[in-house]
Amino acid sequence: MFRRRFVALPVLLSVLALAAGNAHAAAAVGQPAPDFTLKDATGKTVKLSDFKGKHVVLEWTNPGCPFVQKHYNSGNMPATQKDAMGKGVVWLAINSTEKASYDYLEPAKLVAWKQERKSTPSAILMDEEGTVGRAYGARTTPHMYIVNPQGQLIYAGGIDSIPSSSAADIPKATNYIKAGVAEALAGKPLTASTTRPYGCSIKYKSAA
Amino acid sequence: MNLQQAFFAIVFVAGVAASTGAAAQNTPKTVVVTDQVRAELLAHAPDGVAPGKPVWVGLQLAHKPEWHTYWKNSGDSGLPTVLDWTLPAGVTAGEIAWPLPKKIPIGNLANYGYEGTVLLPVPLTITSGFKPGLLSGDLEVRLKAAWLVCKKECIPEEGEFTLKLPVKSTTALHGDTFDAAFKAQPRPVMRGTSVLPDSKVQIDSGAVRLSVQGLPVALRGKTLDFFPETPEVIETAAQWTQAWNGAEWTARVPLSAQRSASPSVMPVVLAADGQGWRAELKVLGEWPKVAAQAGVPPALEAALKANAATPPPSPGLVVALLGALLGGLILNLMPCVFPVLAIKVVGFTRHAGDQRGHRLSGLAYTAGVVLSFIALGALMLGLRAAGEAVGWGFQLQQPLVVAALAALFTLIGLNLAGVFEFGSVLPSSVASLQARHPVADSFLTGVLAVAVASPCTAPFMGASVGLTATLPAAQALLVFAVVGLGLALPYLLASWVPAMARALPRPGAWMDTFRRLMAFPMFATVVWLVWVLGQQSGIDGAGALLLLLVGMSLLVWSLTLKGRTRAVLAIVSVAGLAALTGATGQYLTQTPASGPSAAAGDGWQAWSPGRVEQIVATGQPVFVDFTAAWCVTCQYNKKTTLANGTVLADLAGKNVALLRADWTRRDPAITAALAQLGRNGVPVYVFYKQGRAPVVLSEILGVEEVRSAIAKL
Repeated sequence: MFRRRFVALPVLLSVLALAAGNAHAAAAVGQPAPDFTLKDATGKTVKLSDFKGKHVVLEWTNPGCPFVQKHYNSGNMPATQKDAMGKGVVWLAINSTEKASYDYLEPAKLVAWKQERKSTPSAILMDEEGTVGRAYGARTTPHMYIVNPQGQLIYAGGIDSIPSSSAADIPKATNYIKAGVAEALAGKPLTASTTRPYGCSIKYKSAA
Repeated sequence: MNLQQAFFAIVFVAGVAASTGAAAQNTPKTVVVTDQVRAELLAHAPDGVAPGKPVWVGLQLAHKPEWHTYWKNSGDSGLPTVLDWTLPAGVTAGEIAWPLPKKIPIGNLANYGYEGTVLLPVPLTITSGFKPGLLSGDLEVRLKAAWLVCKKECIPEEGEFTLKLPVKSTTALHGDTFDAAFKAQPRPVMRGTSVLPDSKVQIDSGAVRLSVQGLPVALRGKTLDFFPETPEVIETAAQWTQAWNGAEWTARVPLSAQRSASPSVMPVVLAADGQGWRAELKVLGEWPKVAAQAGVPPALEAALKANAATPPPSPGLVVALLGALLGGLILNLMPCVFPVLAIKVVGFTRHAGDQRGHRLSGLAYTAGVVLSFIALGALMLGLRAAGEAVGWGFQLQQPLVVAALAALFTLIGLNLAGVFEFGSVLPSSVASLQARHPVADSFLTGVLAVAVASPCTAPFMGASVGLTATLPAAQALLVFAVVGLGLALPYLLASWVPAMARALPRPGAWMDTFRRLMAFPMFATVVWLVWVLGQQSGIDGAGALLLLLVGMSLLVWSLTLKGRTRAVLAIVSVAGLAALTGATGQYLTQTPASGPSAAAGDGWQAWSPGRVEQIVATGQPVFVDFTAAWCVTCQYNKKTTLANGTVLADLAGKNVALLRADWTRRDPAITAALAQLGRNGVPVYVFYKQGRAPVVLSEILGVEEVRSAIAKL
């Protein structure tokens, strides 16, 4: 009698397996942020997971790009940085421009360029091989990410809501990083967790 | 010259005189030249400027070699060219009629844009409100254009242009250029409709599947270029595949992992041999949700860590294991498991003599149960490690699993009711397996018991299993194994202690009656599973499932017949079942338009991420009921304690906001909220109040417990 009903089981189990879903490849919001180890502009080694327990902002940058210039020359990026770091947030600026690119800045010059614009992030990281940039799917400069204290990616996208090269648009735009950091620190989920990054293409080293 | 004209003439002359100095540098111009681009404002008005006549203006961009500007969707980077018009009253400018773009790869990224020379035409609408300039009789068009021009580097550029169109005469100097731009326009796949019928974008785990009907016959078999007009949906530079299926063109395009747009209609352009075809495609299915992660403030985090590490009643692995054992024991009494077990135990009385056989089969059964629980636990932990947001009960969030369980329970019910015996349905080789391998049979009965028990998360088990999320994998699996041990224990004892078997009633006709009686709890479980599926997939889904169950029952019954009737009826019912599955299968997994219904109503609001924090910030306390249609304990609590008059009065008295989080379908935001409370299954009942750590109540909710928690608010 019903002892033989186990024949139905393989069917059931395969349905269970099918329902299990699949894993993601690229970094995605709501998933663990890929860990990385990079050298900073002074040659010191910096590891993302060393900052577990704190919020971390990742900023892809390249001073040669007019969109980066828009946010630095206007003081918008340094102000956002200062605001976040004042609240205990770690800020890592990452340069994934390949060495051969016409607008590649050597570490010392990169630091000087930022300092002239009153920007002193927690670290300026050199990713000339582009491995970290690719792991995060970073496409533009600037391209912004926020990692929560548990090491999960909670934001990926633009610095603000108006994609343009004109600094006149900054006061009219919503600064997603300022808003996101404030919400995250208040324990709230982010209103905008993925937005459109805008800017210049990152000049990655071509994959070997 | 009448008086009015004379007045304007004087004003005009005075104005010209006053502005001569400035005008020298600011002469109206139609061309702006930079190092990368020559930009020119062109116009085309072959029939003059008047209401109803075609009037076009446009910006022509001639790029230096290797430089490009962008399409309306610029792709991975870049910005579309922006045209900002200043026009006299009565004249309005339309949207840019974007010519077919090119896909421009840049390393591992890609853009959509234009190289060489391109004209971006814009139609002007002239209404009767337009009054041409009195003296000149012109239409003055002013344009402020901004374009981003890139090679590897990018340069934002802009220009201001002014053009005067004579109203009464023809402007057609650039007719050929405009004609060429019109020819480069993507044509609608079907005239007169914007959204194409029978064509669609289906969301499919990490990708979209496109299906486009009605493309010109000449295109069939050709490889097409694909340009989505909506930015931030697909992975622009990723590999994608396409195929022709007769008249239907299909493609599978990977979604961006950081997608920020979730359109309900996707306009796309398909192209071959320089000619584009535009179609607006309906999007079917649900965009994968991005888990809204709440960052936790440090103070609350400490409280939550304490919560997560120590489930409310007490600390430690030992208590979790005890809870797991007890939970497993209670599973035996659940309506879905009890009939199977009861009959198996009663079976002992038949072969009361074979003590060694009983013990062996008891062990085999226990092994089957424990290993299945470990497998289920490992699957859950594995999915979590892979980043899937799942919790205990996750199996039942899939409508297909619910449907499969309903089918399984129907089969068991029919068997118990005596409609069929497995021996008459199955090939004899399979049927004799049981006789030849009693140990294997017992093992598989154990596996089956876990499968049928999985819908009934017992009380106490939620906390124990929730704890597994915070334990190392080995300890977590131990908890799962102990739940299994608890489930297997009664049968194991009965098989090892002869006194227990002897205490059972003597075999007789009552056993057959008992077996038939046990069919009813099975059917009751089916009713409940159909209801759960109804919550997930709507009335159509539940209807489809019932139809399939009837078809399956017919098939099983027809297999019990003899001779030709059996063959004919079996073939008919197999065909019928296949047709039913084909016709109604899709309803099983659809999402009803209105979404899950159980969340709101009766003074309860639907939970959403951040809602609790919002209300708590105003000083009002909040009670959250984390629930799911498939969770029996949840339904029991909802109908008893949470419907209790005194409880409701107490809640109202303290002005507690009531939120209900419905986890019937997968919802990563709710999974994340549960994880913050140290749980990964439902039910969970929580009180939140400003300045206090959240208070988590027990899973079998007592009236007194809730009332005392309310009193402490």
